[in-house]
Amino acid sequence: MSTATTRQYRFNLPRGLGRRVLPGFLTLIAMLLILVICGAMQPRIWSQNGLTLIMSPIVALAIASMAQMVMMSIGDIDLGIGFFVGMVTTIVATLLRETPLVGVLALVGCVLAYALLGALVQLRSVPSLIATLGASFIWLGLGLFVLPVPGGMAPDWLFKFAFWKPPLSIPAPVVTMVVATALTWFVTRRTALGVRFRSLGSNPVALTRSGSSLVMTRMLAYATVGVLGVLAGITLTAEIGGGDVNAVPGYTLTTVAAVILGGGMFTGGRAVAWGTLAGAITLGLLTVLLTLLNLSSNLQPAVQGFIVIAVLAGRLVVERMSR
Amino acid sequence: MNKLRNKSIPPWTWSFVAAVAVLVLTFMVSGRGGTETLTLAFTIAPYLVLVGLGQMLVMSSGPGNIDVSVAKVFSLGGLLSIAVGEVTGSWILGLGAAVGVGLAMSSISIIAILYVRIPPIVATLATSLIASAISLTLAKGFQGSADPVLKGFLSWAPFGIPAFAIVVLLFTMVVSMGLKYTTWGAQILAFGQARRAAEYAGVSANRVLAFVYLTSGVLAALAGALRASFSAPNVELGNDYLLDSIAVVVIGGTLMSGGRAVPAGVWGGALFFILLDGLLNLVGWSYAGQNVLKGFLVLAVLFLASGAPILKRSGSPVGKGAGNDMHTAGPDPDG
Repeated sequence: MSTATTRQYRFNLPRGLGRRVLPGFLTLIAMLLILVICGAMQPRIWSQNGLTLIMSPIVALAIASMAQMVMMSIGDIDLGIGFFVGMVTTIVATLLRETPLVGVLALVGCVLAYALLGALVQLRSVPSLIATLGASFIWLGLGLFVLPVPGGMAPDWLFKFAFWKPPLSIPAPVVTMVVATALTWFVTRRTALGVRFRSLGSNPVALTRSGSSLVMTRMLAYATVGVLGVLAGITLTAEIGGGDVNAVPGYTLTTVAAVILGGGMFTGGRAVAWGTLAGAITLGLLTVLLTLLNLSSNLQPAVQGFIVIAVLAGRLVVERMSR
Repeated sequence: MNKLRNKSIPPWTWSFVAAVAVLVLTFMVSGRGGTETLTLAFTIAPYLVLVGLGQMLVMSSGPGNIDVSVAKVFSLGGLLSIAVGEVTGSWILGLGAAVGVGLAMSSISIIAILYVRIPPIVATLATSLIASAISLTLAKGFQGSADPVLKGFLSWAPFGIPAFAIVVLLFTMVVSMGLKYTTWGAQILAFGQARRAAEYAGVSANRVLAFVYLTSGVLAALAGALRASFSAPNVELGNDYLLDSIAVVVIGGTLMSGGRAVPAGVWGGALFFILLDGLLNLVGWSYAGQNVLKGFLVLAVLFLASGAPILKRSGSPVGKGAGNDMHTAGPDPDG
């Protein structure tokens, strides 16, 4: 009886909060752990320059993971994001630098292409996995058309951005990542549009009954993915200084892993922007850690694979215990 | 309604229609009879078919099941079999080593999927990272070439019919029969159609999943070993096979949501892809143009071949009944 009354007065957290937040929280702990180990081995990491250095290669991965997170929140998977980001870098490093207007139009075209892909997936009941896979061939081909070999140069304003030093000795990459994540979080969890995205993933019938168009919602979600993909491409161009369609084919699967680490699900309906950020940083920092450990670069992928399994195994153990 | 569609056209039709269309185009462009084109296509296609059959089994075992490690396992199988063949002097041992490493790699996937409950796409991604690390280590200062006997067999084409293609064709038939007439096949497909129902009917989830992933791993490694014997081992040998294997399986009519496997369609899809590459090389398109066209064709085939009616019927706003509407189906309770 007494327990019942105490439960009544306790502050009620939203249902399912634990299930939603716990995985991302565990990943956050893993991320901090790696950061602390890195810092212990190389204390110079704990400075504005040090953090900027290790974080800047992760920015594009984090934003691309946001794109994948939006995709997975509607229950789809994007297998073309790696080449899409690569293609955007080729456009930014050539068209956007030489003829800004054409460049902007090309990037808008990319976003529209994504929206069109969303329409195809919805109208023809095509599995997203295979539609985005088909699109990835197109991205690769278009990227090769723009820049057959890696090259080009980032626009000057982008270089300025790359060397920007925020006040209070905050590392610039962290600012970029947090802003991008906050925006994604806001759109997916605090707007009506975000609610539509998530219900498309979890219960499309309810979405239809509420009077929304499935086609429109999916197109908007894909356009959001396109916008985030373009942003990831722009930040990647700032990072590598030029364009290369083959720069990051690995993003396709790494972003999926980042979303899963952050607590996302394949079945959709769950948008976990902050968790995804933690997942992306964890995966990115692993490379730093393994380099600091002086591990042969050949072995690095294997350790990365084992750590992904280990983190997810750890989550399973914690979930079992907390039940 | 469903019965009617099943009677109308078999699911692999579109892939063969596409392949034949490309073949006819090739004849028109080259302006001569095409036994050479066909021989070449049938020489290269079997490797993709082998990988595709494994991928097909995995995909048929239910939504979310996919093996993204095939590319790296393919390369690893190639490198290892050549290395072992070189050391022991026997290509049979080399192929055996490939089978072994395929089993080992897919065991990692299956343990992660079954016991750590990691989603298959992430589990096989981890496996592919591990496989690529082993390949990179193995490839350092790698020397070795394929056994001439095996190489000779793989490029042996009496009367323009590659012998190896016949072997793989027979194997495809065995897989097809197995899916149709054995309890195993029925269990895989039932499991893919309705996991919960199949489990109540006594199908063991662990056994089905272990079987499909192990088969996929072994086939990928074996195909890699044979492909490496045909040309030369290389760390990047398998890279194209991941996207291509998924694409040919789906173009062939296998449902991504599971429960329908179409082994014949894998052949159609593989021939379509390989003939298309050949045609575009013939026309002199750049690699860039080839990729763009390949992408558009994949999307076009999806547009035509998907189950949903082109003109929307009233009363089915969600597009239910299309069969392969993975994303419009309700949330999977086991996801």
